[in-house]
Amino acid sequence: MNPGPLSYVLVSAFGIGAVVSGWLVFRTDSMLRAAYWLMVSFVSVGAMLVVLDAQFLGLILILMMSGEMTIMAIFMIMFMMNPAGLNPMTMVHQHRTSIIAGVGSFLVLAWVGVMAEFPNLPATTADPTVDLGEELLGRSMLIFESAGVALLAVMIGAIALVAKQGRFGDAYDGSQEPDIEVGTGSRT
Amino acid sequence: MTALGILAQVAVTLVGGAYVFTVADRLMSASGTGVRSALVYPVRRLSFLLLQPVTTTERPDFSAWILATALLPALAAVGAVAIPIAGPSAGGDISAGLVLFGAAMLVVLVAVFIFGWAPNSVFPMIGGYRFAAVVLSIGIPFSLVVLTTAIPAESLSVGVIVESQSNLWYLVVQPLGFVIYLITAAAIAFWGPFDLPEGADLAGGIVVEASGVRLAMWRFGRAALMVTLSLMGQAVFLGGYLGPVLPGWLWTVIKTAILLVLLALTGRTLARMRVQRFVWFGWVVLLPLALVDVFVSGWLAL
Repeated sequence: MNPGPLSYVLVSAFGIGAVVSGWLVFRTDSMLRAAYWLMVSFVSVGAMLVVLDAQFLGLILILMMSGEMTIMAIFMIMFMMNPAGLNPMTMVHQHRTSIIAGVGSFLVLAWVGVMAEFPNLPATTADPTVDLGEELLGRSMLIFESAGVALLAVMIGAIALVAKQGRFGDAYDGSQEPDIEVGTGSRT
Repeated sequence: MTALGILAQVAVTLVGGAYVFTVADRLMSASGTGVRSALVYPVRRLSFLLLQPVTTTERPDFSAWILATALLPALAAVGAVAIPIAGPSAGGDISAGLVLFGAAMLVVLVAVFIFGWAPNSVFPMIGGYRFAAVVLSIGIPFSLVVLTTAIPAESLSVGVIVESQSNLWYLVVQPLGFVIYLITAAAIAFWGPFDLPEGADLAGGIVVEASGVRLAMWRFGRAALMVTLSLMGQAVFLGGYLGPVLPGWLWTVIKTAILLVLLALTGRTLARMRVQRFVWFGWVVLLPLALVDVFVSGWLAL
């Protein structure tokens, strides 16, 4: 399919949206807003992929991000020194290092994007999702299966650590009130 | 169909469906008031809420509150775009429609979480956290059973999935998937028996601080969400617009209304589940059963 002028406009608009909302992540003083500005940024990238005819990839990205960003928001609020995260607080630190790292990685990625010679591989079927499936389970199967097994190992490890009968003992230990029995001094 | 036509179709479907759902729910919950009173109830309730002043809280996150209220019906509409109503290719047949629907339904988590967070109030915030626990527990089984209907149809387009049921509904082939779908759909729409984010034990949870037009919008959003979930349920499990004698759109309406009434009935009659037990139920019961559904359907399709 030949991209029309509307595609160029939409891709540019979503691209600018992704960059601006990524910038806003650091301009807000609320952890919830920061997490969801980051989600808006990812959703814009997903929308760009949809406009570029990679519907499946773009929509899966949006689908995954809703859960991931909520989990991130909860963890951010949980581990911050600011209980419940309800009070405003500054979201940035180590200014010089982060500015150098940010500008540096932007330049490297932009250089790769502009200078690299990408292979000219037009879609072989009408539906790019079919191409994607054949790529995942064909030529690139080893890469994705290795990544899949690695992720599975991480998941099993995480469950082993947090399970009720995990390696650190009964998860309910210490989380339940002791029995009220005067004189015994401990849980029975 | 033009973009404007699809927009009009989605709007009519969601508003009409939300009316049917509210009436059905009223008939279940308020016994003895009579059918006529239930039929005018949505209009009465809406006019009451529109005339009610909008209260606010101390230092709310105002823009986020409004955004979350608008996001809920918007997500219901995005999900509904993927579903053909009257016949093949009439009404936005998107090649990855099933994924579009799944993405819209899981972003509901964001809408509800922000809606609970924004008022800067305790009970709504706890409700939002509860909803995060609920959706993260049933998100995977929900996506799995929806995507499993694409295996025999060999397409992610909802139109193709409906067409592939011309001989046999997927309700017959994947009964497990249908049951898991109804359970998880009720949980995603924070509808009973899984209305944990706004349970009575939280004095109303996420809607404690909502009033007036904001509460009206939120209630409409939830009803629209139920309509979208029922629309998708009938499209991928009950053969959608396929049926004898009657025109296609009427079959869609009948099947969607049946699912809406079923959900309203179960929501009002089953006991609410505690959130800890629900998380256990999602991960230990629903997720393995959804995997069984995937494996059995894949085996049958080979």
